[in-house]
Amino acid sequence: MASEETGSRRATAGLLSGPLVWLLVFFIVPVAFIALYSVGGIHIFPTDPREISFEAWHRFLLGHSVYMSLFWKSIRVSLTVSIVVVLLSYPIGYFLALCVKKRKYVLLLVIIAPFLTSYLLRVLAWKVILGDKGVINTALFELHLRSPDHPVSWLIYSQFAVMLVLAYVWIPFVALPIFVGLDGMDMSLLEAAGDLGASRFRTFLRVTLPLSAPGVAAAFIFVFVPTIGEFVTPQLVGGTRGFLFGNAVQDQFTRALDWQSGSVLAFFLLLVVGILMALFGRFSRVRTVRT
Amino acid sequence: MPDEVRRLLQRRMDRRDLLKYTGMGVGITAVLAACKQASSAGALPSGSARPSLSAEPGDLSVYDWAGYGDGSYYPNLEKANLWQAYQDQTNDTPQFTLFPDDDTGYAKVAAAASGGVPFDIVHPCAYRFKDYVDLGVMQPWDTSQIPNYSNLNPQLEQFGNIDGQQYFIVEDWGFIAPLYRADKVDPQEDSWSLLFDERYAGKISWINTLEMLVIAGFLNGVSNPWEMTDDELNTQKEFLISKKPLVRVFWDQSYELFQDFKREDVYIGYAWPDAYAYSKGAGLDVVYMNPKEGRITWSCGMGLFNSSENYYHAHDYVDSWSSSKAAEFLVGSYFYGHANTHIDLSGVSPDIVKALSLDDLSILEPPNSNPESYIPRRQVYADAWSEVKAA
Repeated sequence: MASEETGSRRATAGLLSGPLVWLLVFFIVPVAFIALYSVGGIHIFPTDPREISFEAWHRFLLGHSVYMSLFWKSIRVSLTVSIVVVLLSYPIGYFLALCVKKRKYVLLLVIIAPFLTSYLLRVLAWKVILGDKGVINTALFELHLRSPDHPVSWLIYSQFAVMLVLAYVWIPFVALPIFVGLDGMDMSLLEAAGDLGASRFRTFLRVTLPLSAPGVAAAFIFVFVPTIGEFVTPQLVGGTRGFLFGNAVQDQFTRALDWQSGSVLAFFLLLVVGILMALFGRFSRVRTVRT
Repeated sequence: MPDEVRRLLQRRMDRRDLLKYTGMGVGITAVLAACKQASSAGALPSGSARPSLSAEPGDLSVYDWAGYGDGSYYPNLEKANLWQAYQDQTNDTPQFTLFPDDDTGYAKVAAAASGGVPFDIVHPCAYRFKDYVDLGVMQPWDTSQIPNYSNLNPQLEQFGNIDGQQYFIVEDWGFIAPLYRADKVDPQEDSWSLLFDERYAGKISWINTLEMLVIAGFLNGVSNPWEMTDDELNTQKEFLISKKPLVRVFWDQSYELFQDFKREDVYIGYAWPDAYAYSKGAGLDVVYMNPKEGRITWSCGMGLFNSSENYYHAHDYVDSWSSSKAAEFLVGSYFYGHANTHIDLSGVSPDIVKALSLDDLSILEPPNSNPESYIPRRQVYADAWSEVKAA
């Protein structure tokens, strides 16, 4: 009996050791390097400071740094995108899980199909659509709703463009966990609600929505965490107005060669996301069904 | 055979053994890697007895911009014109690693400097030359090993001469100047001020480099914008922040600027000559301005890493790049100048030859233009430019 238990413990440890080593080598150690770099514990470039100092942290947190306002801008953009994407994805997941009877997985594949093409190509397509002489503006000119000399200029190289493209990118991925949550739901609960006289809307509010809440929460996190540090989409369609915190981090590492400041920004972002995740986990204990 | 190895061969390993031998393997690999690094870092200096070309390993590793040999822009022509002669001579095919801009290029080398740079040749621009030399990773060229060197413009080659040694062979050069759509824009004067003209708010594009601070310096009458004081730099930073709302996009690649012009998303831009030539080629009515403050001229060149084991291969490669065939390709395809002074310009449109002064090398001399210079306080400039973007 005891040897069986020991064997089982060994098997668990053996199975876990791979992912743990992976996590240690490719996440914990790099994060530790970044933390050390942010206080001058590591230096690579001739211009890097040679002594341990919290000066870069002090400058960022207390020195009226432009990067702090950029951080709040990124939070705003990311929250907006996450909420909009979840709101738009929910009907898709709902439709696929509860309304489609046949070939629902084929339809799911159709939704994901655009992602079989290159990301850059798709963003380039958005540039063609949103440009001053793009598809939308040209249609407005043709319909005499806008003069060719005054196109709608906020469609491209703006925060709107960043949010639109991010929403476009994330909707299918966010619809997936919502679909999975709804698809696995016990349908007899819906029937029971109907038998007890609940309207369809009341059934949705009291049964379907609470049951799908874990999927919705997962979907929200799924889009919020990556978009808060996003830098590729803002770089491609954001212009000067769409510059976000992730761009500042990238900029410090690649162009400014100020890896210490870059490490401060990156580690700060990591801390904030970690705290948000912990809070979210603590307070999002969603009930299954109200009794 | 040692007992440990015999045991290893004779029985199955348990997990402890696996960890033990993995650890040994990692240790041995690390020691071997360190030895290799030490041996490559200790490559022979120029002029010492070194292996002949045939004894060198080959697979020349070139760290360069896209389109300068890797086939990104002209898949067949780049090879045929820039390094076919090298291949014919050495029977070697160079391997390319690309960098998107000078800063990123330098970052990768600087980060690898202490452990041995994994490239043979790098192709940065002149205002970065001294930064590379200061890293202690470069070695001077032996120009006697480059037959085409005598055809290169000595004035340009002077940029690559640091502390009396030819660390870089300057190959390509070009301008930085405002580009604008003549049918949409009416400049009040020929000046860099067009990049800050409020009449064209939302139709202006700046480059995404700290050189915008230098441009602001020239415009605002700073005596030496490459070496500004803290006060001067702060003034330019605030000036750029105040004008940033006029700017629609910062471009990273010259081709992006051309595409923005073509899509009519912008009408005015900080531009290199290729954007002008591409726009002309696309039928756009564009003007490449000669501002009263002067155009800026840039030049870029090939440097040889001191860890290179392909010393003679590298010289042959640079010789190939320095030929008139390579020069004519660069001028005709990218509309950049080339240091080779024996170029046949008959294949280039006269408009472009005139606009880019390809037939008049006096353009490279001040006051006709301002040569791009080394920036001693580059880090301070870089931080200021990052703040402009983030503000």
